[in-house]
Amino acid sequence: MKTGLFLTFSGALLLAVSGCKTSVNSVENAQKTGQRQMVSDQRAVTDKKLYNRVSIVGVNSTMTPGGFLKVQIELLNNTRSPQPFSYHFEWFDSNGMQITTLAPVEVPDQIQGGEDKFVSSLAPTAECRDFRVKFIAN
Amino acid sequence: MKNKILFPVLAATVSLVGAGCATNAHYVQTGGNQSVVTIGQINIQDYMQAADAMTGELLASGALGRVANPPAVLAISRIVNNTGQQIDIDLLTKKIRVALLQSGKAVTTTTMGLGGTAEDPMAQGLQQENDFKSDVKSTRTPDFTLSGKIIQLAVKAGNTSQSTYSFQLSLTDPKSGLAVWEGEKEITKQGTRSSVGF
Repeated sequence: MKTGLFLTFSGALLLAVSGCKTSVNSVENAQKTGQRQMVSDQRAVTDKKLYNRVSIVGVNSTMTPGGFLKVQIELLNNTRSPQPFSYHFEWFDSNGMQITTLAPVEVPDQIQGGEDKFVSSLAPTAECRDFRVKFIAN
Repeated sequence: MKNKILFPVLAATVSLVGAGCATNAHYVQTGGNQSVVTIGQINIQDYMQAADAMTGELLASGALGRVANPPAVLAISRIVNNTGQQIDIDLLTKKIRVALLQSGKAVTTTTMGLGGTAEDPMAQGLQQENDFKSDVKSTRTPDFTLSGKIIQLAVKAGNTSQSTYSFQLSLTDPKSGLAVWEGEKEITKQGTRSSVGF
């Protein structure tokens, strides 16, 4: 009786755990045509758990033809399970003053186990020179 | 005997847990990750995300910069609500308008509207009066019109519900009648019940 219960419980646990596991295989061109303009970044980590799970690989930026700063951040999920998180961008002008546009938009997102993905945003005005991105675990 | 003891203990525990979870009314950041998320409705954070994403795409496309006399003048055309709920389209369009105005790339006319209905009838009246008095017309015709659609796609599997909201916008040059920019943002929510937080 006890063995039956144990087996049922173990089976259910195994199913539950395996259901949460994800993994991503990818392929890309080895000889890159586009060159990313990497930005030297400064990090403040208060949620080490999130940072260890979803690490920031690099930050690059570009200027659009319309004169807007566009920022792209490469993230890597170091675990084998999907990680939900949200992020939002803050923008600053040449005087370091925050550009207050509409209410900051928190974008909910998810990264699959082992996945490498990009999040990006466009500055709301052409005056934006600097940025800060905040990541929060969901 | 066991039930007589167990039941009150269990009931007390449940009521304690319930009380612990109850929250008094408090302020939260609009659209922040503590917002209420419902599956069958478009929430404020959905409008914010859609407006932000599409404004970014529109500005990045450079379409608004291709006018002879910048900033571009924009008129809001029909935005069809194809969802099962009554929504105020301004929750989407106003955010886009404000963002475009702040970007310096576009201004929106409030004296021209669909079917001749102006958003600001007083401004329209004054403009018509000025045009009547003066030989030179002050009215600037829009460089672009913004139209679109919001679509809801709801599906269910067992207890799990899923809703996809598709926000679609087109920027049309009225001179050519061609859509010079088109954007789509899809937001999908899934769950068994509404929740607080992302």
